[in-house]
Amino acid sequence: MTKNKRRHGLNLSGQLKLVPGYLVLSAWVSFTFVVLFWVVGASLSTTGDIFRGTIFDFSTGLHFENYSRAWVGSNVAVYFTNSLIYAVISCTLLILLCAPFAYVLVRHRFFCSRLIKTGLAAASGVPIIMVIIPLYMIIARAGLLKDEMSNRIVLITLFVGTKVPYTTIFLQPYFDSVSRAYEEAASIDGCHPIRAFWQIVFPMVQGGLITVTIFNFINIWNEYFLSLLFVNSEKLRPVALGLFSMINGMQVSGDWSGLFASVMIVFAPTFLIYVFLSKYIIGGLTGGVKG
Amino acid sequence: MKKNKTMIAAFALPATCLFVLIFVYPVIRTVFMSFFSIQEITDSFSSWVFNGIGNYKALLGNALYRTSWINLLKIFFIGGAVSLGVSLLLAAILKSGVKLKGFWQAVIYMPNIISAVAMATMWIQYVFNSTYGFLHNFFKALGLESLAKIQWLAPDMKFAALLIAYCFGTIGHYMLIWLSGMERISPDLYEASSIDGASKVQQFFHITLPLLRSMLKTNLTMWAISCSGFFIWSKLFSPITADTSTIVPMIYMYEKLFGAANTDEVTRDAGSAAAIGVMLCIFVVVMFLLTNKAIKDDDIEI
Repeated sequence: MTKNKRRHGLNLSGQLKLVPGYLVLSAWVSFTFVVLFWVVGASLSTTGDIFRGTIFDFSTGLHFENYSRAWVGSNVAVYFTNSLIYAVISCTLLILLCAPFAYVLVRHRFFCSRLIKTGLAAASGVPIIMVIIPLYMIIARAGLLKDEMSNRIVLITLFVGTKVPYTTIFLQPYFDSVSRAYEEAASIDGCHPIRAFWQIVFPMVQGGLITVTIFNFINIWNEYFLSLLFVNSEKLRPVALGLFSMINGMQVSGDWSGLFASVMIVFAPTFLIYVFLSKYIIGGLTGGVKG
Repeated sequence: MKKNKTMIAAFALPATCLFVLIFVYPVIRTVFMSFFSIQEITDSFSSWVFNGIGNYKALLGNALYRTSWINLLKIFFIGGAVSLGVSLLLAAILKSGVKLKGFWQAVIYMPNIISAVAMATMWIQYVFNSTYGFLHNFFKALGLESLAKIQWLAPDMKFAALLIAYCFGTIGHYMLIWLSGMERISPDLYEASSIDGASKVQQFFHITLPLLRSMLKTNLTMWAISCSGFFIWSKLFSPITADTSTIVPMIYMYEKLFGAANTDEVTRDAGSAAAIGVMLCIFVVVMFLLTNKAIKDDDIEI
């Protein structure tokens, strides 16, 4: 009661003291918005207006055709579909693999279980290039990058494989916070532990599953390095790689408004996810385990 | 019990196998490869030539490779100070009781969800542009002609530009980690010290900072890991040929592996590429150990 009263009394002078803080935050956030608005503006403008610095005049109207030109002409549709396929399949596989894995690592001790835990933790500090050279060697020699389908499978396997340590480590505390009483009750009722896991424990860690899937989705959507090495044809490129090749082609095509339209298309899915699900993202980072 | 055993096997085996196949085996093989001369990445084992520590020696003797490490260390130290420092400041501001905290932190974190390619494009093609760019117009509006004239993407400014753009994107992430550390500090400490007349700034230096040591360790280790993988930003700032102002070990490694536009400077050799990987790994481990040695564990309970 007294605490509330004091806070209330201090409110105005308290907020006044925070003015420098507000200024820093506003400057930072304004800069972010200015850049974003400019890119949105440029994507609806013309290349000529961009160079004259008059993009917000829209003297020739809004050029939505920049988007259709990028989508069809610059192959963004292809890259977009590819990224979507890679991200959705990889995220699903990661949950199917890592949720049971994290669960048994938390709940049971078995052959090498401690070694596996240490290995997973160590792997999150290993730079990706420590693993890709031998993998590339094996995969290229086996001829797996020549065929479109096997190339896609290789990519998805790599996305999944490289994210196993992160996903498993992330999910462990969520499983740890579930009471053992549920499984015990299920086992007394004669329920097989595998069934008990999928039907009882798995749904209880929903929050963790959603959060880690959001992180995985964003990471795979934006992935660049692995695709740069392992994608053999233009038809298989994900968005980041496609955008990069477009930027390099800009010197030739000179279609800047189309480039910014492509940037917006690549940016849109993760942005939408962020707008609607940012509480999971921020909660997941600040470490609030919600059962 | 037997039922549990089937479950453990069914649940642990697939992921363990994948982990061994994609992490454990390749790491061991990379270390092994780093002691061989391997001209083409697809060469079979019989054509590898044992080279001892020759790859390491040759790399360290190469001026361009040394430059790439100097750049990486600059990113680690200068970028780290900026990134961790500014993110700590922003976290402290958010913790000080400002309104709309959720909004500020959501916007500041946002660059982390944007594809690095898209982010870098916005910086290179807009913010740093010398005719219609943000910085150009901003300084011009303030009447600071000399600042408006800076050619951010010219060779002498490129590295600074790269560092600014990269740090801007990472700050939101570290800010949230700092913030989660601050949230764990008991409010009683602030309550008690403000009764004793401590100001917000004093509280920050005498309570918040000392209690954030374990967070600092985590953040420094994470910063070292992300620096070791520094690649795409460098590639975007120098898309065709790596130039000395922005080259980092990963770019050098990529050219070792697949050949470079400037072939006279970098000869293809998968063994050396593996040696670069090992050195980057050692960098992360050394930074981790140094951080742990320099920053003593919290002896104060939060």
